[in-house]
Amino acid sequence: MLDQAGAADKHILDPVAAERGKKVYIAECITCHGPSARGGSVPPNDGPDLVRSLVILHDRYGSTIGPFIRKNHPTQSGKPASGFAQADVEDLADFLHLKVSDTMRTSPLFHAQNVLVGNPAAGEAYFKGEGKCIQCHSVTGDLKGYGNKYEAIDIQQRFLFPRPGGRGGRGGRGGGGGGGKPIMVTVTPASGPAVTGVVDRLDDFSVSLRDKDGAYHAFGRSSKVKVVVDDPYKAHTELLDRITDTNMHDVTAYLEGLK
Amino acid sequence: MRFPKTFLAIAAFAATLFGQEPLDPAKLLQQPTDTWPGYNGDYSGRRFSPLKAINSGNVQNMSLQWVYRSTAPGAAGVAIKGTPLEVNGVIYLTAPDHVWALDARNGHELWHHAHKSNGGIHIGNRGAAIYGNWLYFETPDCQLVSLNIKDGSERWHKQVCDLDQMYYASVAPIIVKNHVLVGVSGDDLDIPGYFEARDPETGDLQWHWSAVPLKKGDPGFETWPNLDAAAHGGGMTWGTTTYDPELNLIYLGTGNPQPVIAGQKRPGDNLYTASIVALNPDTGKLQWYFQPSPHDTHDWDNVEVPVLFDGTVQGKKTKLLAMACRNGWFFVLERATGKALVHTDFVKTNWAKGVDKRGQPIPDPAKEPQFAGALVSPNQGGASNWPPPSYSPDTGLFYINAIRAYSVWYLYDLDDKPEGWGGTDRGGFSENILEAIDVNTGAIKWKHKWDGPGGRSGVMSTAGNLLFAGDASSNFVALNAKTGDILWHAALGSGVSNAPMSFELDGRQSVLVAAGDTLFAFTLNDKPDYLR
Repeated sequence: MLDQAGAADKHILDPVAAERGKKVYIAECITCHGPSARGGSVPPNDGPDLVRSLVILHDRYGSTIGPFIRKNHPTQSGKPASGFAQADVEDLADFLHLKVSDTMRTSPLFHAQNVLVGNPAAGEAYFKGEGKCIQCHSVTGDLKGYGNKYEAIDIQQRFLFPRPGGRGGRGGRGGGGGGGKPIMVTVTPASGPAVTGVVDRLDDFSVSLRDKDGAYHAFGRSSKVKVVVDDPYKAHTELLDRITDTNMHDVTAYLEGLK
Repeated sequence: MRFPKTFLAIAAFAATLFGQEPLDPAKLLQQPTDTWPGYNGDYSGRRFSPLKAINSGNVQNMSLQWVYRSTAPGAAGVAIKGTPLEVNGVIYLTAPDHVWALDARNGHELWHHAHKSNGGIHIGNRGAAIYGNWLYFETPDCQLVSLNIKDGSERWHKQVCDLDQMYYASVAPIIVKNHVLVGVSGDDLDIPGYFEARDPETGDLQWHWSAVPLKKGDPGFETWPNLDAAAHGGGMTWGTTTYDPELNLIYLGTGNPQPVIAGQKRPGDNLYTASIVALNPDTGKLQWYFQPSPHDTHDWDNVEVPVLFDGTVQGKKTKLLAMACRNGWFFVLERATGKALVHTDFVKTNWAKGVDKRGQPIPDPAKEPQFAGALVSPNQGGASNWPPPSYSPDTGLFYINAIRAYSVWYLYDLDDKPEGWGGTDRGGFSENILEAIDVNTGAIKWKHKWDGPGGRSGVMSTAGNLLFAGDASSNFVALNAKTGDILWHAALGSGVSNAPMSFELDGRQSVLVAAGDTLFAFTLNDKPDYLR
């Protein structure tokens, strides 16, 4: 969906050409327009922001950039802008469109920075104390060597959002992906024995499950049908209302240190 | 009584022609009964149907009337998010780039208009507007298109935004007097949001209101660090507009500021982004504003429906406006002045330190996105979003399909001048809760947590003491509006994707709702009076 942004005939990026254009940019433009093409900041080298420039945004393969700079636009080298080769203009266009793309939510440049800012000792104390993590988890058992298995940001996500099938925000990614524990349900119909299994679907009107043999069972819900859900992630959900950001960073640091 | 087939054919043809008669402008000022003439049914945004043929005593007998699913290229499989209109027995239904006219009696397709697209984000289309013989809708490629309601032929199209700046259009236009009111979408790049009035005959611009200052000294300029930040500051207008004819004011919400997540170089409240604004519909002049999310850094567009109703404040009848905002807060304002009377969160939130003297939340800087992450409720999708709420004057309750969610917000952009997004949120917990909020206090009168992992839908209340809503699975549900008790449901195979609407035709009340690419009509079939 996000790839649809812009016109159908928009400039299609050529990364190889953009790399060539980067050299043109460094040679002729960077002093005034800055390393990210977001404008210079110190006069007289305070050229405008090119990422926000309509000349760039309306450009296709140099169609507006070329005529603009060839009108005696200043250059770093001092060579007349009117003499810019068409190939250089097109390469420069690719580089500038790449700089625009770098600001978008889909940019591959955007990734998590250092999340290891917490105190591992404080994290351990929270793990064993207020966080009550130790009631279900053990650093010599299920969490042994946990810091070797995941990146720090994934550790952070997994202990906050272990529920499988989690959803991220718009543009975001989902949660930790879970520890593989399914949500279970036990259904006791008005007649017949209770059936326990992994939840397949649950709403106000019906419940279905897969039992330990993989068999599918479905029930219409009513006051005569007892439904008990066993959510292994309930404690993690409740934690969200209690944990502070400091606790979160401390626990992340502690778990990441479990090598 | 039996009629010859020829006679029936002539009668049906005549009815079809009659059905595509122009919309009586007076209908726009009335409660929706035999007509649903605009996105919200009437100007108030209450989505309250005064019809009660279907009510809490008989809704158990409501059943399928008809189904419509388009197989047109480019339309099949596309979710219907817009609320259809009903005018003189004809349904006008939209999806991105598509409009259909359907016989309201049976879902028979009368015409289909497909717009040839030049791009843009096809995230959804919220609906159309009708003025006389003419229908108006906006397209992902930034066009306002006018069609002839008789046959779907295009009269004209006008560009209302610039695809190269990655604007697009999804909102349902609203007709107020001789103005077609249009908004725009787009938050990929740092661009200014705006709202416009267009001439219904020509599409020409009548006025243009910018959501952000475009020059030094413009109103709100003092809430930005510099002109560059302000003039690229966002504030899109993709939510619906409501209107008070007596005050001659329109009410709309504005979207998040830009850059979206990395807001550290735009200190200040960033007016008039993430705000509720009251404008004069004839001039576009700002009358007042209220900002639910000052200096937003969480993509919390404040474009939810500003719902208008009257209440009693200190013994005086008072014109009120309520909004359940994406940021998780519920406000009731005096709509003549913007003064806040009620301010509270309707799901648990943790991003505000309190409220200022105007009743606006004070954002906690620690809960802005951080390089190491900040745990925040709600998440990016928000506690509410575009799916419309409802207010029932019979119960005094405001209904919203809410979402309680947490995510961790990360800053990504290390540049001295962050632009565009510069971060995002990640997170995996959310739950869907249908809430009935007492507008006098903001207290939750009743709520119903939906089981299931699905999305959210709009809702509609009726004088039949009913509340219609989609659940988090794929059920369309009728509840007792006073108590929240579930009275009826139908599984539609896909989650409810729009807001329900209702109208009366041939003495029969119908309730329409969409699930995915399919439109369903329900009615009471308990006492058929079929032609024999």
